Amino acid sequence: METFAAVFDVIYQLFDNIGFLILAASGLVIIFGMMGVINMAHGELMMIGAYITAFSYHAGIPAPIAIIFAGIGAGLVGMILERLVIRHFYKQLLSSLVVTWGLSLLLSQGFLIIFGPSILNVPTPFGNFPIGEQTFGIYRLVLFAVAIAMVASVWAIFTYTKFGTRARATMEDPDMANALGVNTGNIYALTFGLGCAMGGIAGGMFALTATISPFFGINYTPLAFITVVTGGSANAISGLISSALSLAGIQTGINNLVNVYIGYVAMIGAAFVILLILPKGISEYIERRKIRVRKVTNK
Amino acid sequence: MNTSSGSKLDKYLGPLNGPQTMGRRLPFWLGFLVVIALLALAPEYLRRYDIINFSNFLISGFLALSLSLIWGYCGILSLGQAAFFGIGGYAYGIVALNLLNLHGNTDVAFIAGIIVPVIFAAIIGGIMFYARLRGVYIAILMLVVSLLIGMFMRQTADPSYTLGEAYLGGMNGLRPASASAPLLPSLIFGIGDSVIELDGRSVSFYYFVLGLLTITYLGLRCLVNSSYGYILVGCRENPDRTETFGYDVRLIQLSVFCLAAAIAGLSGVLYTAWGTYIHPDGFGVGPNILVVIWVAVGGRKDLGCALIGALVLEWASLRLVSEGEIALLVLGAILVFAMLLAPRGLAITLADYFNKAELLLRARLSTGNGVSRKNEE
Repeated sequence: METFAAVFDVIYQLFDNIGFLILAASGLVIIFGMMGVINMAHGELMMIGAYITAFSYHAGIPAPIAIIFAGIGAGLVGMILERLVIRHFYKQLLSSLVVTWGLSLLLSQGFLIIFGPSILNVPTPFGNFPIGEQTFGIYRLVLFAVAIAMVASVWAIFTYTKFGTRARATMEDPDMANALGVNTGNIYALTFGLGCAMGGIAGGMFALTATISPFFGINYTPLAFITVVTGGSANAISGLISSALSLAGIQTGINNLVNVYIGYVAMIGAAFVILLILPKGISEYIERRKIRVRKVTNK
Repeated sequence: MNTSSGSKLDKYLGPLNGPQTMGRRLPFWLGFLVVIALLALAPEYLRRYDIINFSNFLISGFLALSLSLIWGYCGILSLGQAAFFGIGGYAYGIVALNLLNLHGNTDVAFIAGIIVPVIFAAIIGGIMFYARLRGVYIAILMLVVSLLIGMFMRQTADPSYTLGEAYLGGMNGLRPASASAPLLPSLIFGIGDSVIELDGRSVSFYYFVLGLLTITYLGLRCLVNSSYGYILVGCRENPDRTETFGYDVRLIQLSVFCLAAAIAGLSGVLYTAWGTYIHPDGFGVGPNILVVIWVAVGGRKDLGCALIGALVLEWASLRLVSEGEIALLVLGAILVFAMLLAPRGLAITLADYFNKAELLLRARLSTGNGVSRKNEE
């Protein structure tokens, strides 16, 4: 029982870390992976989601609905930002980086002035379950499930809906899509808004486990970005899952062997090494393998 | 140059002038002299408190020059330029605390504060550039590196993080190991037995920083207008073509990255000596984004404009601090609006308008005199 509890502890941490990375990165994977824009304000959109969740919850709205509100709110803010600012910076990677960093400063400082530096808390629901001497929170497992559900819904939206087809066409060749009658401006705004809404939902989910302050988002942006880049954009979904798996695996392992700080450093070091070996991300490698397997079986 | 004064100027200012920097003609250099004179005479007409603040503004100028050099001229955006600033500051403080009693001066510490960031830049830059990482990845990676160093420094409150006489001190910043020892020293230069002490709050420190900044600015002007500067711009505009011409782009990127780290390190040394204080917040998001704001708003593709951006925005944010906590909000707004309205930078765009207006005026005057001459520019 003792060893089972210890093993379960590590597996639990692993799932927690995978869920964390996938949730933090799921919105960014649309914005960076599909649109080629770097959104340094992604963490601040998560922060907006967290605030909406906290305020709705304290106004008496049940947590799941509060989190949906967070997604809608962050999505709307994202669409406004896209129309006002970000649309001027498509195809200019470094400039989009700088201008969205400015937006992130604006949002976090704006929230600091409006709501003050005080922190908000929302209680974590669902309680705990014991294994051996240790107890584990059920909510962390819910986080993981939601992360998987979000990835699945992103995949479904872009594969099966009319919007998804139009969005993929627009990202592939905006001029051609426009000529075929797609309103590419709307598609860009909606896609960006969808990415931000994902961020908002993630922020809302994290709001139930973390303290919320105007600087809530700062810690998430670099991590989300690293996860997305490690996954690569050859196949955004498989990339996201594989990079979250490998990065969280390394973080959990080193975390248990040494300490939290070294675990964090090791994860970033691992992302760096993966980028050196596979400059286009893990998904590029997976796609290549798939093609090779297909060729072999066809013979 | 279409004026005779320009060619005469070129004879004296040859290496300083070139197409890589704005302001090549007489009005610019006269204005330059006026600004230097005004800054040099500042202790005559400003309060002591203002002079202390001005020293800090000038220290920020080094940081802006270092980012303009790599981002504006070589196309390497680093979102973690303040990391070198912090490393320089910590290196200076640690060495100074350990050697001050032994040597009686901070000569070695001053040099260490410049060399250590360069070594760090050589290692991390070597990996990044030789792996041929692209611009965005370098930008984010540098930010992450800076945040990681900050995270490490934050958890050094444990007394075991003591290097000789220096105690890293976690969130409280670098401190002496024994409580009775004096705080971090200001700059003390010594040659043989003679010693010059430059207290961070003194006028002599202000003059020292002003002189150093002027030399750095003019030196970098010479550098970017030399053939090395042309190669830098080549790496920015088209790395593949530059490589085809036989230049090792990776080596050039690495060398300019190290040079920028040295200048940023110098800035950190001067800051530590100025405030006798260095703390982990220097590695955070705030300082890193400030450097990007100064350079982007001023104009990254010109050293002078980046410098003006830093000095003006630092002065403005000090003014705004007295209005409450809106300084960073206003700076963020300025950055977003500047990127939308003048993507090349406000100072560069204004200088361009000024240039055009002047040329137009010249053309008017010459046609008014009955001489119709086609302008060369």
